[in-house]
Amino acid sequence: MNSDEINLESLIDAWELSSEELSINVDHVNHFYGTGDTKKQVLFDNCLRIQRGEIVIMTGPSGSGKTTLLTLVGTLRSVQEGSLQVLGKELNGISAKDTTELRKKTGFIFQAHNLFESLTAFQNVRMATELTGIPMHVAGPRIEAALTRLGLGHRMQYKPKLLSGGQKQRVAVARGMIHEPQLILADEPTAALDAESGREVVTIFQELAREKNCTILIVTHDNRILDVADRIVSMVDGQICSNVLVRRNALMCLAIKEFAIFSSLTPQSISHVAEKVTLKNYPAGAEIIRQGEIGHEFFLIGRGDVEVEVDGKIVNTLTKGAFFGEISLVKRQPRTATVRAKTNVVCFLLSKDEFQSVMDSSKSFEEELRNAIFSRR
Amino acid sequence: MSSAVPLAWKNLTHDRRKLAIAIGGVVFAVMLMFQQRGFNDALFDSTVEIAKEFDADLIIVNPLRFSLSSEIRFPRSVLDLAASHHGVMSAKPLFIENIAARLRRDGTRAYPIRVIAFDLESPVFIDGRGEITSQLASLREPNSAIMDRLSMKNYKFNLTRDAKFPQRGELSQRPLDIVGTFQLGRDFAHDGNLIMSKENFSNYFPYRGSDPLSIVDLGMVKLNTNEKAPDVCRELQAIVGDKVAILTKQQFIYKEVRFWSKSTPVGVIFFIGTLMGFVVGVIICYQILANDISEHMSEFATLKAMGYKNQYFFRLVICQAMYLAILGFVPGFILSWMLFLINSNRTGLLMELTPPRVALILVATLCMCILSGLLAVRKLLAADPASLF
Repeated sequence: MNSDEINLESLIDAWELSSEELSINVDHVNHFYGTGDTKKQVLFDNCLRIQRGEIVIMTGPSGSGKTTLLTLVGTLRSVQEGSLQVLGKELNGISAKDTTELRKKTGFIFQAHNLFESLTAFQNVRMATELTGIPMHVAGPRIEAALTRLGLGHRMQYKPKLLSGGQKQRVAVARGMIHEPQLILADEPTAALDAESGREVVTIFQELAREKNCTILIVTHDNRILDVADRIVSMVDGQICSNVLVRRNALMCLAIKEFAIFSSLTPQSISHVAEKVTLKNYPAGAEIIRQGEIGHEFFLIGRGDVEVEVDGKIVNTLTKGAFFGEISLVKRQPRTATVRAKTNVVCFLLSKDEFQSVMDSSKSFEEELRNAIFSRR
Repeated sequence: MSSAVPLAWKNLTHDRRKLAIAIGGVVFAVMLMFQQRGFNDALFDSTVEIAKEFDADLIIVNPLRFSLSSEIRFPRSVLDLAASHHGVMSAKPLFIENIAARLRRDGTRAYPIRVIAFDLESPVFIDGRGEITSQLASLREPNSAIMDRLSMKNYKFNLTRDAKFPQRGELSQRPLDIVGTFQLGRDFAHDGNLIMSKENFSNYFPYRGSDPLSIVDLGMVKLNTNEKAPDVCRELQAIVGDKVAILTKQQFIYKEVRFWSKSTPVGVIFFIGTLMGFVVGVIICYQILANDISEHMSEFATLKAMGYKNQYFFRLVICQAMYLAILGFVPGFILSWMLFLINSNRTGLLMELTPPRVALILVATLCMCILSGLLAVRKLLAADPASLF
């Protein structure tokens, strides 16, 4: 396989492995501080959907509300308006008992380490495993391994007084993830750490996300760790002003460029397409479009083979890299053929409106398309 | 390391200086309570010491005689009536004078003293040391008496081990020879004790009646073996009517203590003193626990964010309170005990630390610390994890 195809394949592979399950669903959430005359709105109609296993970085100036949103997700503040579902549980009106249960599945990493001065590093981390009922014979080795990995192997029995600021923060990081939570909420976890320690921490985050499907929400200004993010959300003045699945988008851009029809698009257009395109899987034998139907989508084949059938006769077989469905959208007429999946097929779809907007924005795309339509006849 | 992280213990003992101050506070409160209880008990113990020395199963007393120190008496004939009961082995008289008895050595001031008298042929004290029994012969001499070694020094007699007897003095303006000593002890109402024969007694206190010995202060009743004291008590009471009261020795002692604790300010005063010690202890303990909580609010808020429940924090603070109680009680107890020894020497009062009394203060100390813990935990429950961000 050549290197171009690797991007397409890896994108499809990653897509197939990912679950559609949401770990965080913020639905029209508003939040206010104070009461009566001093009541001030701090979150305005926030909407955000995060899937399990995502690493999300939240940025924004101070006072933008990102920390407030984090505390809402972490059950540390009560949801006032709107719906907020975390790990399948609705937080608006949640009971105290459920709150405690949810907190045990969550790991917190605060900007201040908040370690007990009277306990050793080991014991501080153990507070987390004890709560979640992990027996000592399991927790002990796990804590030792985690602390060793964070460079604290020889300092495990020391109390915070004898640890540096960075070392204390690393203990706090260990405490926040030792119980293998399903959700980790971190506020500037790497701010007090040097480059190496910071890198180690985010590497651990990545492992947790990939291997245990842990969702990680990080509020940070640290540029050094932006590369691990699947999604970057930025907030200003209580509103989510941008919410981009950066990793997916980046991969998508590379994948799209592999399609001949998109090869001459400007980067801007490619990015635009990448944001809008969705993937869909068709098992062998499934009908993708039917002759005579109204057409709504434009299809690109990412994997597999399809048969094109006109009036009952198979006229063509298309494979990876080919596209179909454009005639109905361009000429505004019903589907001219039936397309059926021959093998297991994964297609990239653009909806009618999105297809139109891409057409409008890129002259070269339109030209390519028309040439292709022409040559198909 | 299979048990939980001992956060309560660690937090309490981590800062040595603070721990020392904390323990000091509890020790102070414990000692206060011990001293108050100690004096309270000493006064009662001293007062009934004489009663404990009575060689009697039952005691006959005029029901109007509200305490040993009062001078309400009953006719001697009652004793003969009592002696007629088949279960009674003997009914002996005890004579006491307080107010009229004033003792001094020549040339000095006279002070009131308690004079106790009985029939030398049938003494009424248990006399474990045998001092009274060995001096019965000297007591037969006219105008003689033996004196309690633990009496106040004001009487100016030399009652030390190597003192020489007889020593001449004056009792109620009549000459008296002190011919020896015994040991009983002072109490609230009596600064000293003398023991003499009933014959000498009637000479010193003739105003008691035509026959001074015809009225009796207390009657000492000894029962035959195998007789049950409560049963005979009831039967005798029926015989003698309601002009006198028949009590078991225990009841008599109890009645005396009850008088001092309920009918005089003594009980109340020392109870308030003890309560104050308790309250001071609560306040000191609360300060310490609340201070510790304040200083570690972020850490506790972190535990809350992690999912620790209020129940855990309750147990944590109560645990700390109990550790503090024990750590403070042990030195407090030892120091109080030493103080008891010093005080009882100085005052001549009987200061005893019996197991029930120690247990009482221990329970009070535990309650004190737990109460302060409950007050302090409210602060902890208010820790807000949202404030950590």
